[in-house]
Amino acid sequence: MKDNPSYTEAFEELREIVSEIEAGDISVDDLAEKVKRAALLIKICKDKLSATEGDVNKILKELESGDSQGE
Amino acid sequence: MFLGVEKVRSYLGIDDIMAEQVNDRTVFSLAEVTRSIQKTLAERYTSTFWVKAEMNKLNLYPQSGHCYPDLVEKADGKIVAEIRSTIWKDDYQRINENFLNILHEPLKNGINILFCARVSFSPLHGLSLSILEIDPSYSLGELEKEKQATLDRIRQEGIYNSNKSLTLPLLPKRIAIISVQTSKGFSDFRKVIDENGWGYRFFYMLFPSLLQGEHAVESILGQLARIKKVLHHFDAVAIIRGGGGDVGLTCYNNYELTREIAMYPIPVITGIGHSTNETVAEMVAFRNAITPTELADFLIQKFHNFSVPLRNAQESVSQRFHARLKDEKLGMLNTVRYFKSVTVSSLGTSRNNLMHELKALERQTGYFMSRNRQLQNSVNAALQKNVKQQFGDLNREIEGIGQFFRKDVTAILYHKNWVIRGDASLIQKAAQRLLLTQRQCIVTEKANLIIQSARFISGSAVSLGTLNRQVELMDPANVLKRGYSITLVNGKVIKSVNDVEEGAILKTVVADGVLTSITSSFIKSNQP
Repeated sequence: MKDNPSYTEAFEELREIVSEIEAGDISVDDLAEKVKRAALLIKICKDKLSATEGDVNKILKELESGDSQGE
Repeated sequence: MFLGVEKVRSYLGIDDIMAEQVNDRTVFSLAEVTRSIQKTLAERYTSTFWVKAEMNKLNLYPQSGHCYPDLVEKADGKIVAEIRSTIWKDDYQRINENFLNILHEPLKNGINILFCARVSFSPLHGLSLSILEIDPSYSLGELEKEKQATLDRIRQEGIYNSNKSLTLPLLPKRIAIISVQTSKGFSDFRKVIDENGWGYRFFYMLFPSLLQGEHAVESILGQLARIKKVLHHFDAVAIIRGGGGDVGLTCYNNYELTREIAMYPIPVITGIGHSTNETVAEMVAFRNAITPTELADFLIQKFHNFSVPLRNAQESVSQRFHARLKDEKLGMLNTVRYFKSVTVSSLGTSRNNLMHELKALERQTGYFMSRNRQLQNSVNAALQKNVKQQFGDLNREIEGIGQFFRKDVTAILYHKNWVIRGDASLIQKAAQRLLLTQRQCIVTEKANLIIQSARFISGSAVSLGTLNRQVELMDPANVLKRGYSITLVNGKVIKSVNDVEEGAILKTVVADGVLTSITSSFIKSNQP
């Protein structure tokens, strides 16, 4: 269980927790912990859906430096 | 060595030739010779004929609208024949239209054609073939052959599924787009991606390229090479074209381009937007969408595939959590109810015992009190009797001796009275002392009774408290979890084999449920 999982890992872990909870294998004591963890994982995944990524300027800079190296 | 004018005339077949004699030589003007060639060829090649050749270059002159294609024939990659040709403006327009209708390609460089032509010679421009008609279906077949050749080669090299077998990230967010800024396809794509109503955020960057026609291959390859340099910024490459109709798509059957797409290190998705047969590039792409809009929908769908399970997970976790808490609460409630009933029955027994004791005490007290009262009454009665007797005796004495001692009657009477009064007060005092003693005795008994009762009640309360704590410590849920069980018959807890008859139906409560069983036998243990 990583403290800072990637969204893909978070998604997988979440699915495991959900199937565990749905199977009802978890004791009441563990349940609260699992639910807390699930909430965190859901947040990581949801944030990823709406996160802004990619920087055109950075890519252009890398392209230019790549071009000059190539020439 | 030197031909005579007549001979030359017959050789060239020109009657009106105006040869000069210069120093014994017969000299012709260039125009005369070329005119002669023209005439000869015209006589020799009187009809049109069909020829197949590769049109190396179309050489369309936009201003005049005429074309001057270079025609070649190759054998083993080498040119073995070459001739210039002409297509006049009107013919070109008609032929080109046929091509667009049937091939979805314009007449262009580098295609094999079957054409109807005549030999033409112009004194000014020399020898050429004048093309009157080109058969589009022949070229179509040739293009199909080329496409098939590309496909076969890709399959033989075992790279047909290379791009398809890559893994697209769960959320393909960062897309390198090969398209044209102004193309309708690109704008359709952006519309779906940018205006999605679910708040999905994508990043895309345009790498502008030609997307159709003969320069498209090198242009797309150039941009794919550029994207490779910044590959870590992207999840996928999208080739987007649209609004161009079905024309100029043969570039997507090009071997080099197809190979590059198949071997590309990240998924290449295509939305080329046409209604003709799939090109090889589309076949080898990670995913081919018919239109740019569909391509955008494909990406949105990937987000849905992530988002919907997420939402379901959220609901499911919350629901299960609350249901579970409810179950636990119910279980706890049942335990408490059971605990309560056990406690109440135990308290009831204790109370009954206590009441019993109190009643016994009351009875004893009552008995004691009534005995005291009887004693008092008998003392009073004895006293009264005594006084009456004394008075009776006195009266009789008075009557007996009254007449003899009439004079002293008063004095005697007084004396007797005094004696009687003294006796009476003695008796009275003795009776009062006796009563006082008895009353004190009762008060002491009463106090003892109260102290003993209180002590008994508080003793009971203490033992009840201990019992409470013990029951609390022995939380039935925990006891059950340790493997103990509660067995009930007719809803009552069984404490002894005597509670159960043979054949009785037993309910056994264990940690996670209830078992029902029928008693077949019982053995009483020796221990009580």
